[in-house]
Amino acid sequence: MKFSQRTKVGAAVACAASFALIATGCSSAGTDGASGGDIELTVTTFGSMGMADLYAEYEAANPGITIKANNIDTGGNARTDAFTKIAAGSGLSDVVAVEEGWLGSIMAVSDQFVDLSEYGADDIKDRWVPWKLEQGTDAEGRIIGYGTDIGPEGLCYNSAAFEAAGLPTDRAEVATLLGGDDASWESYFALGKKYQEATGKAWFDQSGFIWNSMVNQMDEGYYTADGELNVVDNAELKAAWTQLADANAAGLSGKQAQWDWNKGSSFTDGTFATFMCPGWMLGVVQGQVETAGGDATGATAGWDFADVFPGGATNWGGTFLTVPTQSKHPQEAADLAAWLTEADQQVAEFKAEGPFPSVTAAQTDPALSEATGVSAFFNDAPIAEILTKRADGVKAQFKGPDDSTIQEQVFGPSAIALDQGVAGDKAWDDAMTLFDQLIVNK
Amino acid sequence: MTRTLEPETSAPAPLKRPGRASALTYKHRLSRLDVKVSPYLYVAPFFVLFGLVGLFPLVYTFVVSLNNWNLLSGPGEWVGFDNYAAELSDPLFWNSLFNTMSIFLLSSIPQLVVATAIAAILDQNLRAKTFWRMSILIPYVVTPVAVALIFSSMFSEQSGLVNHLLSFVGVDPILWKTDVLPSHLAIAGMVNWRWTGYNALILLAAMQSVPRDIHESAALDGAGFVRRFFSITLPSIRPTMIFVIITATIGGLQIFTEPRLYDATSSTAGGAHRQFQTTVLYLWEMAFQRQNFGKASAIALILFVIIVAFGVLNYLISQRIATADSRSDAKNNKRAVRRTLRNGAKEPRA
Repeated sequence: MKFSQRTKVGAAVACAASFALIATGCSSAGTDGASGGDIELTVTTFGSMGMADLYAEYEAANPGITIKANNIDTGGNARTDAFTKIAAGSGLSDVVAVEEGWLGSIMAVSDQFVDLSEYGADDIKDRWVPWKLEQGTDAEGRIIGYGTDIGPEGLCYNSAAFEAAGLPTDRAEVATLLGGDDASWESYFALGKKYQEATGKAWFDQSGFIWNSMVNQMDEGYYTADGELNVVDNAELKAAWTQLADANAAGLSGKQAQWDWNKGSSFTDGTFATFMCPGWMLGVVQGQVETAGGDATGATAGWDFADVFPGGATNWGGTFLTVPTQSKHPQEAADLAAWLTEADQQVAEFKAEGPFPSVTAAQTDPALSEATGVSAFFNDAPIAEILTKRADGVKAQFKGPDDSTIQEQVFGPSAIALDQGVAGDKAWDDAMTLFDQLIVNK
Repeated sequence: MTRTLEPETSAPAPLKRPGRASALTYKHRLSRLDVKVSPYLYVAPFFVLFGLVGLFPLVYTFVVSLNNWNLLSGPGEWVGFDNYAAELSDPLFWNSLFNTMSIFLLSSIPQLVVATAIAAILDQNLRAKTFWRMSILIPYVVTPVAVALIFSSMFSEQSGLVNHLLSFVGVDPILWKTDVLPSHLAIAGMVNWRWTGYNALILLAAMQSVPRDIHESAALDGAGFVRRFFSITLPSIRPTMIFVIITATIGGLQIFTEPRLYDATSSTAGGAHRQFQTTVLYLWEMAFQRQNFGKASAIALILFVIIVAFGVLNYLISQRIATADSRSDAKNNKRAVRRTLRNGAKEPRA
């Protein structure tokens, strides 16, 4: 039989396809690295953790180790990725980055992650700020995560908007105006009302971030320190909610969609004057201004960063490097995680993409305060210095397994409702209904 | 009907002669085996694959749905049908079902009507046929993710294109992402944009196989375009129509990407107040955010039953399209029977 040219090509494609099917079916043993002790370590990170350039350095210093890195775009997608692979029982990398927001869920299955104390954690555990180490330690005292960055919060403000309202624009004066170390939510909202009366414009972008910051500041948030749910009849929580509802009633909210901000343009057109800024958010602000076609160098954007935060020191976000028990090379993986969180590397990560170090030696490293694109954007603010001060006094709040669900799905919709003008009590009751549906009767 | 007329003796069984069986050569036996077994071997790959990636997951999902199963910590205690009972009494589940139905109806009905109309137009003697046919398929080539991002931007509440255009005719900005009906309309718009052309092409293919001489003789008898469309074209494409309706039903009830990405920044998938959270989206949230795998599996199976029910319902409804056709079918059959009887033919026409 004589095949036409097309048939031959078709047959070749079919053969190749079926071979590929078979080949991929049995190629999962790749990480073993059979050739003479060579080890391939896989790393999964997300967002802007600033590690991309460090792997080559580690490979050069540790012959026989190759690193295969994968960076997922957002923390939310990284969570889905990690959860799916934990559920499947396979597929996790040797080193997996875990975000503080879903650390509570991970802690509920902490036996799926190796106790880093068995791989040298005890020798290095003094390097972190104490509360960071505490966050990465599970209920049985096993250290499962090495801290990378933390998110101490300062206040971003738009000096052009402040000037228009007749407020001072110098960052030290702004800090003093809000009460300095005694800055409270009362003083923050009071100044906001003054601003709103002077300009008719909003004081903050939307209620969700304010609410998150308020809750993160409490000694006990959605859970008590012993891990009991702590939402219904929590007077402290309700009082903060009422305060936020009053601020909304006074027209202080810019009613923005979070993570959208009208495609960034609300950062450039003076829609709101202040913004909650954990360290990693600074790059986000710059990016939003850039997206909206604003001045990404900051010369005319008007944004500045003050060493003050309503209600005192607080932390939002931050990441840990974990080693799953699925890893075939826990020792090597733990070594890599330890190296990536050393002071020198944390400084390099900060300079690359801006995550603020959780290691004390890195926080005081003079190299940290060298000018970066981000500090230039914020009117040459001494970002590292401010964030180090803002990290002082942060306490680790216990985060339970449903913490992120409570934040996003129980209070998230009600915070938006506040923005849209729903009364505080009604919005709170709606949140309690959702709490009952999503958390209590889950 | 005609089967009953089949003469029992038309195919006399071959007479068995002693010694005949042993006379079969190896090749003969092989070829008999070939005839009997090969067809099954040819279709086997599909069934093996289906069993592996279709049936097994289905059964496994059922098992999971009977357990209190956490995504991360795995199977908990056996709860029987409690997950089903809990979901069927959960207002959020019914909310998702309402959204699914609403988006499904808003998309499928206009989509099929328009697709049929486009197909009828393309079925005419147009210039540059291929150009027109390919043009309507272009939206189908664009990935749904890109479509969702573009629509999401167009329907942005603050500075979206649509609200901007509406402002020219004096319409107040519509809250396309906050309000229920506007968000459903926008999502249905995405679905329609993507699938109308595809369905039109399938229907067009069916229309092209309708014999032209029927059209011509009807035209000679004085039937206009509309009359011919309803009396000839529609009845003739019925099987294809059923196919299109059923695939549209399955697709419409499983819609995920469009509502997921329509407001991608929302912390609750499908809008902050779940105003456009479809059932598949609800299922996904249940499994991967609320981490309740058992309930998520129960939702999946409830949805499966609903889709099957809708498929059957649609099949029954679309069977009624052009009953005239079935009537003429029956007439033809009767005629054939009569002819067979008259001729006394041994073998009825198939």
